[in-house]
Amino acid sequence: MKVTGGIGNNGDSGNLMEGMDFPDYEDVSALESLSSGDQSPFVEDSDSHSNLMLDEFSSSKRAMEPNDVSDSESSDSDSSADHDVHHSFLSIRSMHDTAEVHSKEDSSPSKTEVQPQPCNAEDFATWQRIIRVDAVRANEEWIAYSTPQAGVVSDGRAHCSAQAVGLKDYDHLEPSRIFHAARLVAILEAYALYDPEIGYCQGMSDLLSPIITVMTEDHEAFWCFVGFMRKARHNFRLDEVGIRRQLNIISKIIKHKDSHLYRHLEKLQAEDCFFVYRMVVVLFRRELTFEQTLCLWEVMWADQVAIRAGIGKSAWSRIRQRAPPTDDLLLYAIAASVLQRRKQITEKYSSMDEILRECNNMAGHLDVWKLLDDAHDLVVTLHDKI
Amino acid sequence: MGSSTATQSSSSYDLSFKILLIGDSGVGKSSLLLSFISNAVDDITPTIGVDFKIKTLTVGGKRLKLTIWDTAGQEKFRTLTSSYFRGAQGIILVYDVTRRDTFTNLSDVWAKEVELYCTNEDCVKMLVGNKVDRESERAVSREEGVALAKELGSLFLECSAKTRANVEQCFEELTLKIMEVPSLLEEGSTSGKKNILIQKQQQQQTTQSLSSCCS
Repeated sequence: MKVTGGIGNNGDSGNLMEGMDFPDYEDVSALESLSSGDQSPFVEDSDSHSNLMLDEFSSSKRAMEPNDVSDSESSDSDSSADHDVHHSFLSIRSMHDTAEVHSKEDSSPSKTEVQPQPCNAEDFATWQRIIRVDAVRANEEWIAYSTPQAGVVSDGRAHCSAQAVGLKDYDHLEPSRIFHAARLVAILEAYALYDPEIGYCQGMSDLLSPIITVMTEDHEAFWCFVGFMRKARHNFRLDEVGIRRQLNIISKIIKHKDSHLYRHLEKLQAEDCFFVYRMVVVLFRRELTFEQTLCLWEVMWADQVAIRAGIGKSAWSRIRQRAPPTDDLLLYAIAASVLQRRKQITEKYSSMDEILRECNNMAGHLDVWKLLDDAHDLVVTLHDKI
Repeated sequence: MGSSTATQSSSSYDLSFKILLIGDSGVGKSSLLLSFISNAVDDITPTIGVDFKIKTLTVGGKRLKLTIWDTAGQEKFRTLTSSYFRGAQGIILVYDVTRRDTFTNLSDVWAKEVELYCTNEDCVKMLVGNKVDRESERAVSREEGVALAKELGSLFLECSAKTRANVEQCFEELTLKIMEVPSLLEEGSTSGKKNILIQKQQQQQTTQSLSSCCS
């Protein structure tokens, strides 16, 4: 895609690709940008924008040693989610370093740290195959919300884009859905190259779909996705550390808020809250409608921005009625959705299976504003204790 | 919503079995389940983690409650999905007849998962080749399927979630076989009874707590 080509200006592009050890490498469809066709009215605008980003990239790159970058990329903790924006641009460089490690086939201890073992379990070809399958079966809820330009895609353009990324079995789809699927493939493959420790995991297409619906340019959507994934990538780690940490927080919220419900969960051996697994992994995307999802995510991101801007608890302590910004608003919202069903859970359900089913069937039964109100109430009363 | 049907069905079955669907992502596990439950054959978004559906049916004169667990196929979810093998009486290993890798992965990966995590020695396995509606793209022959099934000691069927060909047979044959195994039959009937008992206890508890509230 265009961004990758742009890096060539810094003299890196060639190396970046040579070093890669992916079996199906020549077939990497992400190298083509689909959105920047002649039809797009935004080409000029976006070009200047991407140049701007690349300028940032090259200047910040000069400021850092490559080794530092590798260390930060392989960081294990969730705190790496708070990386400076420049880090994410830079880590394309660290990916390059990582790929070299592979091609040399040596395993000096320091280098194996860069690329932990589990990520070899699935290779790029596997991710590529799953991405293509998932893109074709992405749900079509987004169509009503797409911009007019994205809504009208000619048959020819759709098929052209599909061929460019090697999409299969898409003949039954409308042109706009084919085009959407092709964009999903291009960006997800680019991401898998960009962040090979995570690569591709099912659920990531759920997270990307809303972004490409509101952004017509692939390269912009890609970097937005990168920003989104800085936190969300921990949901897709093979060791499930990110997921377990979050489930643990939800469990704590429930325990502090409603000890009766918590005791019931303990009795059913469900206090680990695995029944909300899906909500955590794809950030409520499956339970909320498209519009509700955008609502929740934007409120969530606003909180995270407020924290990064230094508007922390101290400023809020003076306005006691309101909830301070939190990095974990999603988890409070998930806990709120469970607490809203406390009556059914404690009185009717006698196994974790039943709770899981209740949670998986929440789709279409949630009021996102009520959910956010409840979540904020929980934040007000519990943020000091969690 | 879901709860009322659950209460109804739990009081109206003789046997209850847990069945698990496993196999690579995109082979059609969720489609197979949906095709069996509701005749729907749309594209389905990838499964995240696990989900399950309940179907009550009559097989061999017995009223059965099948709890069918659908799992995510991708490796990243395997730590989670492996914990759902516990207590399963039947396991359906699904592959896509148009993709050879999904077939070889059954013996290389999934059969080993079953050995590792399945707590039930007598558990009945069934090998299912899905997507036979795409005959022209077939990459795994029926004979190969039969051979692997023999090797794994499992039942075998080819089906199409899309046309619903052989879909019901797949679940029926599996349950019939489960019912032939005394230990599994025993599990199925006790878990049914236990369920009803718990339901009754629960109802008592609720009425008790209600009355204590009122007084």
